[in-house]
Amino acid sequence: MSVGFIGAGQLAHALVKGFTAAGVIATHRITASSPDKDLPTVTGLRKMGAYFTTSNKETVNKSDVLFLAVKPHIIPFVLDEIGPDIEDRHLIVSCAAGVTISSIEKKLLQYRPAPKVIRCMTNTPVVVREGATVYATGTHAEVEDGKLLEQLMASVGYCTEVEEDLIDAVTGLSGSGPAYAFLAVDALADGGVKMGLPRRLAVRLGAQALLGAAKMLLESEQHPGELKDNVASPGGATIHALHVMESGGFRSLLINAVEASCIRTRELQYLADQEKISPAAIKKTTLDKVLQQPGVTTTGVGVRTGLNLFNSTNPKHKKN
Amino acid sequence: MSVGFIGAGQLAHALVKGFTAAGVIAANRITASSPDTDLPTVSGLRKMGVSLTTSNKEATHKSDVLFLAVKPHIIPFVLDEIGPDIEDRHLIVSCAAGVTISSIEKKLLQYRTSPKVMRCMTNTPVVVREGATVYATGTHADVEDGKLLEQLMASVGFCTEVEEDLIDAVTGLSGSGPAYAFTALDALADGGVKMGLPRRLAVRLGAQALLGAAKMLLDSEQHPGQLKDNVCSPGGATIHALHFLESGGFRSLLINAVEASCIRTRELQSLADQERISPAAIKKTTLDKVLQQPGVSSTSVGTKSRVNLFNNRSGAKKN
Repeated sequence: MSVGFIGAGQLAHALVKGFTAAGVIATHRITASSPDKDLPTVTGLRKMGAYFTTSNKETVNKSDVLFLAVKPHIIPFVLDEIGPDIEDRHLIVSCAAGVTISSIEKKLLQYRPAPKVIRCMTNTPVVVREGATVYATGTHAEVEDGKLLEQLMASVGYCTEVEEDLIDAVTGLSGSGPAYAFLAVDALADGGVKMGLPRRLAVRLGAQALLGAAKMLLESEQHPGELKDNVASPGGATIHALHVMESGGFRSLLINAVEASCIRTRELQYLADQEKISPAAIKKTTLDKVLQQPGVTTTGVGVRTGLNLFNSTNPKHKKN
Repeated sequence: MSVGFIGAGQLAHALVKGFTAAGVIAANRITASSPDTDLPTVSGLRKMGVSLTTSNKEATHKSDVLFLAVKPHIIPFVLDEIGPDIEDRHLIVSCAAGVTISSIEKKLLQYRTSPKVMRCMTNTPVVVREGATVYATGTHADVEDGKLLEQLMASVGFCTEVEEDLIDAVTGLSGSGPAYAFTALDALADGGVKMGLPRRLAVRLGAQALLGAAKMLLDSEQHPGQLKDNVCSPGGATIHALHFLESGGFRSLLINAVEASCIRTRELQSLADQERISPAAIKKTTLDKVLQQPGVSSTSVGTKSRVNLFNNRSGAKKN
C-alpha cells in the first residue's frame, strides 16, 4: 500500500514523521507534493526518505491512500487538478478544517461515479505519536476503508470514528488544542521564572506537569474535578493558586477558545461551500508552477476567469 | 533496600503505585504508616502488597529510605515521635511543601549527630510514572544518597537536583501544576460539549491534545511560541481561538497561579519555622492513637503542654 500527500507542509510533515516512527509504512512508499519546493518542511520530508515532487498528479498516480493536506481554500483547486487522475483504488482522505465530505464528493463525481472519500481532523502531536484524530466516512467509502485509515492514524495516537457534524467541534477542541497548551506552558514557565527558576527548568517542569496530569486523566475513571480535589490539600499552596485562576475566569477563557475555533471552522466551511475561489487567493507564481506540471490544463484549473470551480469544464475545450 | 512512608495518604499511595509499576522496588519491601486506618488510600496501599501499620516507629525500623509524606504542620510532630528511632543507615526524605532541610536537621540533631536528610518536591503524576520531581541534599547526606533518591524518583518521571531555595517555586509550578491542568481539562471538555460533543469524547480529546502538545514540547528544541505559531494557519480557527485567550489574560492567570502557590508555600514554611504546633492542629483521637503506639511517651510528643517541640525534652518524667 502506498500513501500520498497533496501538500508538503506542517501536517504532511508531522504525519510522515509519526507514521515512519511507528513503522506502519515504509518511507519509500510515501510521496508528497507541492508546487512550492522551498517550504522548510520539504527538506524534512526528503530527509525522512519520502519522495517529493512538484506534481500533484504524480503523487496521485503513485498512491492508494491520498491525504489532502492543504489549506481549506486550496481544496477545490486541487480536486479539479487531480480529479481526472483518480482511480477506483484511491481512498481520498481530506484533513482540511471545515471542508465537508459532500463538497468533495460533489466535485469528484464529475470524474468518477463512486469516489471514496473520508474526512478527518487530526492534530500536530501525531509527530510524536500522541495525536488526536477523528474521522467520518463518505458515501462510497466502505467500512474497510475506515478501518484502514483508523489503523494508520491509531499508530500515531488516539483515533475514533465520529458523526461528520461533530468534526468542527473537534477542530475547536483537539485540533487547536495544542496551541492552547503551548501558550499555557509559555505562561507557566514565565511564572516559574518570576519566582526564581531558570527558564529551561521552568519549561521542562511545566510541560512535564501538564503531560503527567493529562496521562493521569486518560488512565483514570475519575472526573477531572475529583483529580483536582486530590491535589488541593486543605489550606495548601494549590488551592490558593486555583482561587486566583477561578477569579480570573480561567475556565471561561478556555470554553471561549474552543467555541471560537469551532465557529471559525464553520465560517471557513461556509466560504468553501460557496464554491468560488477568488483569483486573489492564489499566488500567480504558484498557479504558474501548477500549470507547468504535465497533464494540467488551464481549463481544469479555472482560477484565472474566477469560474465556479464546482461546475464541470469539459476537458475537450481548447486551451485558454 | 527497604522503603518506608510516614503517612499513607495521596502522596504515599501515588509514589508506591509508581515505584511498583516501575519495578524499582518490590511491594513487600515497602511499609507505610498512619494512625488513621480509614483513609481510602490505605486500602489501596494494602492491595498493592504494602505492609501497613499504625506505628510510625515500626515504619522507621523497617526502612532504610524513609519518606515523610505527611502535611507540613505534622512534620515536627512526627520528627519528635521517630527521632529516637533513627539510625545511621536512615535516609530521611521530606516531601512536605515549605519545610526546610535546616528545620528538619535541627530537630533530628537532638537524637543523632549526622542525620541524613533530603528534601524533595514531587507531584501526583508519579502514579502514572510521569511525575516531576526536584530534590536538594542536606548537610549530612552524601552524593550517593542523592543518586539513590534520583534513581527511585527517575523511575516515576523526571527528576533533577536543584538548589534548595528553588523548591518553593517548583511547588508553585509543577507541584500544583496538575491541578491547573485538571481545571483546564474540565473547561476544555465543557467547551467541546457546548459545541456538540458527547462528554466522554470531549474529555478524551482534551486530555489527548494536552498530552500530545506537552510531549511535543519535551521532545523538541523549539520554543513554545514557535510550536504555537506552527499550529496557527493564517486566518484559521486556531488563531481566532488564541485571540480570545489573550484578550482574557489567560497567560497572566497562569503566572498568578504559580506565584500564589509559591507564596503560600513560603507562608507555610514561615509558620512551620515558628516551631510551635498548636493543639488545635491535631485531632485528639489522632493524638491518642499515636500515644497508644509502643515506645511513644507523651513527653516526646509535646502538644498537650504546648511545649516548643524543637527543645530537647529527653529523659523528663512522663507528664
